[in-house]
Amino acid sequence: MKPARRYLALHLPFWAAEHLRQSRPDLPADQPLALWARQGARRLLVALDHHAAAAGLEPGQALADAEALLPDLLVLPAMPEASAAGLRDLAIWVQRFTPISAALPPDGLLLDITGCDHLFGGEAALLAQLIASLAEVGLSAQGAIASAAASAMALARVRRDAPIIQPGAEEKAVAPLPLGPALRLPGAMLEDLARLGLRVIGDVLRQPRAPLARRFGAPLLDALDAATGRRAPPITPIAAPPDLSVTRALPEPILTAEVIAALLDRLLAALCARLARAGLGARRLCLTAWRVDGTEQRLMIGTGAPNRDPAHLARLFAEPLASLAPELGFERFTLQAQATDPMGAEGQGALPMGAAPRPDGVLAQLLDRLGQRLRLARPAPLPSHWPERQWRAAPAHEASPAAPPGWGARAAPVLLRRRPEAVQVTAFAEGAPAALRWRGRHYALTRAEGPLRLEAEWWHGGALPPARDYHRVQLASGERLWLCHADGRWVVQGDLP
Amino acid sequence: MTATDPLSPRSAALARLRDTLAGLSARTAEGAASAPIPVFADNSLIGAGLVRGALHEVCAASPGSGVAFAAILLANCGGQVLWIATEQESNLVWPPGLVPFGLAPENLILARAARWPEALWAMEEALRCPALGAAVLMAGNGQGLDLTATRRLHLAAEAGGAFGLLLRPDGAIGASVARTRWHIAPLSADGAPRWRLTLLRQRGGAPAGPWDVSFEAATGSLRLEVGSG
Repeated sequence: MKPARRYLALHLPFWAAEHLRQSRPDLPADQPLALWARQGARRLLVALDHHAAAAGLEPGQALADAEALLPDLLVLPAMPEASAAGLRDLAIWVQRFTPISAALPPDGLLLDITGCDHLFGGEAALLAQLIASLAEVGLSAQGAIASAAASAMALARVRRDAPIIQPGAEEKAVAPLPLGPALRLPGAMLEDLARLGLRVIGDVLRQPRAPLARRFGAPLLDALDAATGRRAPPITPIAAPPDLSVTRALPEPILTAEVIAALLDRLLAALCARLARAGLGARRLCLTAWRVDGTEQRLMIGTGAPNRDPAHLARLFAEPLASLAPELGFERFTLQAQATDPMGAEGQGALPMGAAPRPDGVLAQLLDRLGQRLRLARPAPLPSHWPERQWRAAPAHEASPAAPPGWGARAAPVLLRRRPEAVQVTAFAEGAPAALRWRGRHYALTRAEGPLRLEAEWWHGGALPPARDYHRVQLASGERLWLCHADGRWVVQGDLP
Repeated sequence: MTATDPLSPRSAALARLRDTLAGLSARTAEGAASAPIPVFADNSLIGAGLVRGALHEVCAASPGSGVAFAAILLANCGGQVLWIATEQESNLVWPPGLVPFGLAPENLILARAARWPEALWAMEEALRCPALGAAVLMAGNGQGLDLTATRRLHLAAEAGGAFGLLLRPDGAIGASVARTRWHIAPLSADGAPRWRLTLLRQRGGAPAGPWDVSFEAATGSLRLEVGSG
């Protein structure tokens, strides 16, 4: 028979408050702290530290009541995202004890310690060591070890004596646990269960399953089966982000361009190998060079599509490398991928479903090279009739979406003035311009079409620009201009073909 | 013995030389992936059209007419088009206006260079790249585009096989090694735009035109007006 897996669950009863305290060392350590969140119009406590809990406060209490009970209470708004992110970081930190760990927000950690405990002198010693090292950084924790993840979690939430349950004994161990804290059932369900006189897990286990399922639905049975170890729902282990920086310290400072380029090639090769293992491609790379006098110089390159081809990246670095000033030489180099995107094994950028394909490799490389010195854009059509909103500049590496039907069909100019050019209309014929004064010269118009009135798009909100009247006029030379009349002013806004 | 005797050693040597020369000058023509770019719906006027893998020039009397002519040529060349301009250019290429001439926005990449030398560099890099169908460089007045610069661009186009187009204003004409040089001026029109097109110069051929032309959407090229040319 396969040896049972062993799970270590940690419950951090004061996680949110203690995590906040870590980032705010200015808060007095011996003063009770509570975090609140808005629920509708009310402000309720959502997390406490051990001082506040010892003073009798409870999560769910109104903030005003709590402040009345405990006048020196520190109150801060809760930051659930920061707290969840901190828990993920903590789950990565505990991977020094085992390679598989998971964060169970809002306040739990789960470690798969199968086969790891002997390194720390047994399961009890491992648990004690873990709790002690968390206590060192100011985190309270209580733990339990069992052969089912949910059993260990339920035990950790309720029992403070760090129980270690042998395989197969889970059901007996969780039976006396109170339903509420152990299983985290919804409040309404707990009240219904309490009305039936069911308060601990053992009470529910003794009931026939079918009526329970009819009365409370599958979630209760699922939670029970997981806690007793009858079923093992999968856990989602957390993976530490790959280390995407490589450093070379040099025994002798280097200063010639050739040696620096050769070193960069080796750094790029090492980094690209790591990127390949992680299934990533670099979007932005930073090369930091430390000079012997202690100063540092940084070079950045960016790519439009994820890339891990050392030769291509070296070409992008070729020009910035010339700007390094070695003076007495560099003694250390670090190359770091600061931004990455997923990238498939075959070199094609991994795409989310439905995304447009990217241009092929050669073109992407050309755009990367040009993009280091020029501003590149692809026109992405927008469904709008207002001239300035007919397209936007999209990244050149993305294939732009097809134009909506009718886009560009309206007689549009081929060139638009960056700044509209003021012009005076000196004569009118039947309401249309007949002569212009433009760039200090007088022009008779041989033809004028218009006006075409465009109203501002009110649905964008904000202050509405005035409506515009567009005229297509033709000078005697044949040159055709796109005139705009708005707010009493005439401007040349573009050139017609 | 006449010089036309095909068996004479002298004419054989000449023929060999001619072959070599043709091979040298046609290297680009056969290296290009596809056919020349038609200018006119009726191709009998200037041969097959404009060859790829070479640099061509358009001088425009009005900015709009030059851009429209460029868009027609680029639309016919297929593939991705890089449109390079400098930040000093007072006009922006307006993609919605190019659609009627067949140049779709999904084939267009706009590049803006802070300075003229960077625009030239980008043009050269782009022409060298086989993945691009064409590259256009908008050269304003007084921007240095000498014989050396155009030769560099032409060699790059030969190497990469892309269609290179220089869009220059009227009257800013210096020496150039471009394969053809066109002049376009707007004509008075009552509806669709009309232009007067002149082939000012072509390498290995005589100047031609002027023709009065207008755009024909069905063929995506220019239609000659009756009684012109």
